[in-house]
Amino acid sequence: MSNRLAILIVKEIKELVRDPKILIGVILMPLIIFPVMGSAISISQASVRKAITQASFAVYAEDQGPASTALLEFLQEDNKIIPIEAPSLSEALFAFQGTNASAMLYIPDRHSENASMGLKGRVKIYANLKSLTIAEASGAEVINALISYYNYRASLSSIGALLASAGELADPEAVRNPVSVSYASVVKGNVLEVHPQAIFGLIMSQSIMLPIMMMIMLMFAIQMAATSIAIEKEQKTLETLMTLPVGRMTILTGKLMGSVVVAIAGAVAYMIGFSNYMNSALGFAPELTSMNLGDAGLGLQPLGYVLLGVAIFVTLVSGLALAISLAVFTDSVRSAQSLTGFLTIPVIIPTIILMFTDLETLPETVQWALLLIPYTHSIIASKAAFLGNYSTVIWSIAYITAFTVAVLYIAARIFSTERIITARFRSLSLRGLLRKR
Amino acid sequence: MNGLMELAIEAEELVKNFGNVVALKGCSFTVGGGTIFGLIGPNGAGKTTALRIMATIIKPTSGSVRVFGVDAVRSPDRVRRMISYLPEEAGAYQNLSGEEYLRFMAGFYAGSGDEARSMVEEGKLISGLGERLGDRVKGYSKGMKRRLLIARALMMRPRLAVLDEPTSGLDVVHAYHVRQMIKDYVKSQGVTVLLSSHNMLEVEFLCDRVALIDEGAIMAEGAPDELRQRFEAENLEQVFMEVTGLE
Repeated sequence: MSNRLAILIVKEIKELVRDPKILIGVILMPLIIFPVMGSAISISQASVRKAITQASFAVYAEDQGPASTALLEFLQEDNKIIPIEAPSLSEALFAFQGTNASAMLYIPDRHSENASMGLKGRVKIYANLKSLTIAEASGAEVINALISYYNYRASLSSIGALLASAGELADPEAVRNPVSVSYASVVKGNVLEVHPQAIFGLIMSQSIMLPIMMMIMLMFAIQMAATSIAIEKEQKTLETLMTLPVGRMTILTGKLMGSVVVAIAGAVAYMIGFSNYMNSALGFAPELTSMNLGDAGLGLQPLGYVLLGVAIFVTLVSGLALAISLAVFTDSVRSAQSLTGFLTIPVIIPTIILMFTDLETLPETVQWALLLIPYTHSIIASKAAFLGNYSTVIWSIAYITAFTVAVLYIAARIFSTERIITARFRSLSLRGLLRKR
Repeated sequence: MNGLMELAIEAEELVKNFGNVVALKGCSFTVGGGTIFGLIGPNGAGKTTALRIMATIIKPTSGSVRVFGVDAVRSPDRVRRMISYLPEEAGAYQNLSGEEYLRFMAGFYAGSGDEARSMVEEGKLISGLGERLGDRVKGYSKGMKRRLLIARALMMRPRLAVLDEPTSGLDVVHAYHVRQMIKDYVKSQGVTVLLSSHNMLEVEFLCDRVALIDEGAIMAEGAPDELRQRFEAENLEQVFMEVTGLE
């Protein structure tokens, strides 16, 4: 590497890394945001469990008979109950709204009488939707779950009593549920003793998280490079560089390599942050962390990590090259930033589409249109790396690389002419760009 | 050969078109080695275009430019080794310190580490910014930035320094300092300077010779005294109004 190129790269890195926006956005953000998101998921899961085990809800019982008392005693075992005393249901509901309970169990009159006659007892759950949160809706679910469990326990005890009186030796549980079900999942030929829903949840968290995070990284990188070039133009430092005894290709290479070094640091931070995210996000579900995902071909293997790293790297380089090539036609930071707005469209579209669906399920024309966008391949690669389809990852990397080379060729042509200083978007044409003076 | 004897710039029939806009309409002038030459005219007259051609940033549509005998269109790389250029209202890298910026620029001209260090020391002296050179450029005032940039342009002792509006937008004190920097350093080191300005008084103070440019054409050329006498004017401002017929 020539001395002058080294000087340019060092300058570029210093300029970028000393910019607090870039330091935070590209390097610190993935290191902090990923673990924070993982912890947030973990905390929210833990709080749901806590809400289930320590539910607080109101009870308005018109019936004071033995069936009601038995139900209330069961509910009071592990939960905090707010009893409501009121002359009528409407007044009880009014009082319920004054409590901080999100649900109220209403036990109507004659509940115990029905039970003693061998009929079903009827209760009603009122959910108080004050601020329309998921927690409020789940408050009603908590009572429902508890009553289901009470039903199960009560029916087992009734069955046991009936069996004893009839002199039968059968297990009450077997009488109530003659067939018991357990689940396992077959993934890529491996049998895992895990509910398919758990695996599906894991895959969903991957296929949504990876593309979103890659999109955020790419948008930061594009903005970083476009802003950096725009500042060079606005401050006329690029114009000064053009008069130095150094080749224009060296200037372009220096600019790109400086950004690449920062982008690599960003990609490394991204991978470290992501692996932290995985650890903390799955902390709430021990069956998933103890499950050997590697055996199932689902986890990121060392080769998968490397290929995912390469895919992120080439994606970043292509974004940087594109941003630099286009930003030379802007004359201010503001216009460069509006330009990056346009550049994010081909990043956002495949991210959103592929977050919710697979490419194969789309109409063929849409598939081809998406496949032309290089960032579609970044998302395909991230999913494929997770599923262990390494040939897909390599193909994606090859496509993004080919696109990057084409962009760099155009950038090199632009840098070799005076258009880098004089051209503006309004006078831009591809033929004009490529015409060598 | 003595640099004072040879011609630093020979511009012949320079024409520059940007699409339908004609920025230069056949400008010709010569600049003697070791002199300060001013290109003066209003905004949009074609000064920056002419200077950019001398600095090898853009190429003329037709005509020729020789810098110390080297064709600037055919051999821009050779010309770049002899010149330094300061664009109008230029800045420096915001996140580098003043000294880091001087070191960065010296790296392109110096053949060795010692040479680079002596260039940087020279730049520090010329700038007169003292301790502030350790601070990041983003904290500099406009005047400080300009002093840093002029020091950068002169520290490598170029044979030709091309300065576009070196004092534009500066307050009286900084403009005074910048003019003194140019005059003192150039005279003591024998550097040739081509500068542009629309400040006629500044040009009278600094320049050995001037060319008046308007709408892409040179209207008159000569030493300030000679032009004043020729047009029987009190100052260059009056000369300019006279030759452009705007009075």
